[in-house]
This record gives sequence, C-alpha cells and structure tokens, in this order.
Amino acid sequence: MSEDVKIIERKEIPKGAVMIFGFPDVGLVGVIAASHLILELGLEEVAYVDSRLLPPVIVLHEGLPHSPIRIFGNHQILLAVSETALREDLIYPIMHALIDWGKNKGAKMMISLSGIPVQDRQDLDELKVFAAASSPEMLKMVQDKGLEVLREGYMVGPQAVMLQYCATLGVPALTLLAQCFFNYPDPEAAAKALEHLANLTGVKVDVSKLLEKGEEIRLKARDMMKRTQQELAKMRKTQEYDIPLYIS
Amino acid sequence: MSEYSRRRRSIFDIIDEYFESLEAWAERVRETIMERPSWNCRTCTMEPLRDVMVTADEVIVTVDLPYAEQNTIEVKPVGKDTIEISAKMRRKISFDDFGITHHRGEFQRFHCQTRIPVPVYMDRMEIRFKRGILEIRLPRKHEYEIPIE
Repeated sequence: MSEDVKIIERKEIPKGAVMIFGFPDVGLVGVIAASHLILELGLEEVAYVDSRLLPPVIVLHEGLPHSPIRIFGNHQILLAVSETALREDLIYPIMHALIDWGKNKGAKMMISLSGIPVQDRQDLDELKVFAAASSPEMLKMVQDKGLEVLREGYMVGPQAVMLQYCATLGVPALTLLAQCFFNYPDPEAAAKALEHLANLTGVKVDVSKLLEKGEEIRLKARDMMKRTQQELAKMRKTQEYDIPLYIS
Repeated sequence: MSEYSRRRRSIFDIIDEYFESLEAWAERVRETIMERPSWNCRTCTMEPLRDVMVTADEVIVTVDLPYAEQNTIEVKPVGKDTIEISAKMRRKISFDDFGITHHRGEFQRFHCQTRIPVPVYMDRMEIRFKRGILEIRLPRKHEYEIPIE
C-alpha cells in the first residue's frame, strides 16, 4: 500500500466481498448510487482513507468528523465512496491504495459505478448501461448477462485508473457506465446502474425511493456537482467524446 | 487578407476586440477566484447549475431546475450578451431539509444570470422545459464573413 495513503480500519473486514466504488464523476452517478446503497442496505463505515495528500477537508456528520473518503460494508460488499471531488493528481494514489487494500482483504471482484454523458439526455426515456472489463473472462461475463460493452473509446477518471490497475494485478473488475447528463446530477442514471449491479452481483436494492426523491437529490447535489465539474475540466474529461486512433 | 476584412478590421476594431477578450478573461478569473455560495438568504434564491454550448448555428443554454414550476419560468435578455433566468419552486426549501442547522433561511426561487459568449438574436430565443431541464436556444448572429480567396 502507498506510504502516502493509509486505510484505517474501524471494523472487521469481511473476506470475499465485492468491492464497489462510487466516486464523483459525470452526473454524480457513482456517488448517488453509493449513497442509496448505504441507506437501503444499512451499510456501516468499516474503514476510511487517511492521507496528507488530501485537501484539508473533513465531513461533519452528527457533529463528528469523518474522512471524505470512506469504505462502508456488510458481509457481502465493501463500498468505497468519496464525498468530495477528487483532484486529478490524487486519483492514482487514492485508487491504487484502495485497490491494494481490497485485494489484501480478498475482495473477489471490483466494480466501479459511473456514468457516460449523452447529448440531449433529457429526451431519453430509456437509459442504456455500458460495461468495460479488466479481462476477457469478465467481458464475457457481462455479455452473458446482456450488458452492452463499451468497445472503443477513451475513459477518464477514477474508474479508468481502477480498471487498468485491476487488469495489471489480475483482479477481476468491471466499470458500469449509465447514460447520464454531463453536468447535472442524474438519479435516474444512478438507479439504472444499480439495477445492472443487482443483475451482475445479486446485490439488490429497491430503487423506487431513489427515483421518487430525484428532484430532492438533484437540489442537494448541486454544490458537489459544481466542484466535480471543475475537477472534470482539469482532467480533460471531454476526451471521452474523442474518436480514438488505434495503433495496432 | 481581403479588401473587405481590411476595411472592416480597423485599428479601433482590433483594440475593441482586445478589450472584449480581456474582459471575458477577467470574468473567467473572477468566477474562479471569487467563489460564492450557490444560495442567497437575503433574496431567498438558489443558483441553478447551468451550461452553455456554442454550435455553428446557435447557442444552447441548459439549466437544471429541480422543483421548478413550469409556468413561473422566466428568461429575460439583459443587454446584448446576458440572459437572466428565474423560476419559482413548487415547495419552499430550507437548510433544515439538507440537515444543516448552522445556517437559517428558506429558498423559493432559482435565479441566475448567464453570459452568452458570441452574438445572438435575443428576440428569436426558443425555450423548452423537460425533465426539470430548461433549454434555451439562441440563433447565432454572423455579422460578417471573411471571403475565402
């Protein structure tokens, strides 16, 4: 594990769990989905990230300080979630530390929940979810489950680092990308990503409350979305729209 | 450079353009440095998230307006290059709703001003509201064209 990033454990960590990541990105899909999982499954904080690389920010809940990056869990899943937009230069050390930690804890699979921006999103009634995988076996698994694969293109952000690092380590990993707004919080996209997560892992949650509370979530998530937009611009997130030139 | 564009771009035009670009740059810096809350307790307003996209033919402004009452949405031009957007919310939102107890205040309107980065026909503005997203389309004004020789 990186010297600069420590994972402090607060509870016993289950072996063989699925490790899920919900980090700020387009549409805040991962964070909204993670927040809903925590509420619906009653997940408890089991560990948190401590690092001097992080900005001097804490999150206060019920008057007590918490790290902005925490890991929640139960016997079945470990869920890493960030309540603050991550600076571009922090993505590598934070993601590598979390993946190293999860691997040491025997996580059987890692899944990142995220979004893929789509033009005229407001006109879409049915949102698609795409998947990208760390290995041909994982790719086959998602195709067998009926998910569409993101075949060609660029991926930018924490999920990109997660997928590449897991491929290097030989850890089975997936990224689920729900079609979403680029700049606006998208609870509908988060619900869609959760439906596919259930299909892949059996981690089922009722998404009806998430959809009912959609407007409330969009209002609450404005400030986090604004900060995330600033960081996405710095990490050149719009490269995901680029047509790649492959050199074989 | 063609005769037309030489005539058009006098030294005064160039100076004007230079100051305009300097002004736009200063505005961007101001927005970045002078951060402010996304809410205003005195006016009971919240600032919505918004986005501006410039295409070849039009400028498309979108604004995220959750809880907005459609029939209260107002979009007004303010001068040549700015639009003001406001909308009433279906319900009052207070800091308590967000679990915040160290601020007091209620909000019942969205309000913001957005600068349009290129000349547009304000009087030909088209507006639609779907899924809580306000979309404003403004046809671009192409004041002159430089002929290709």
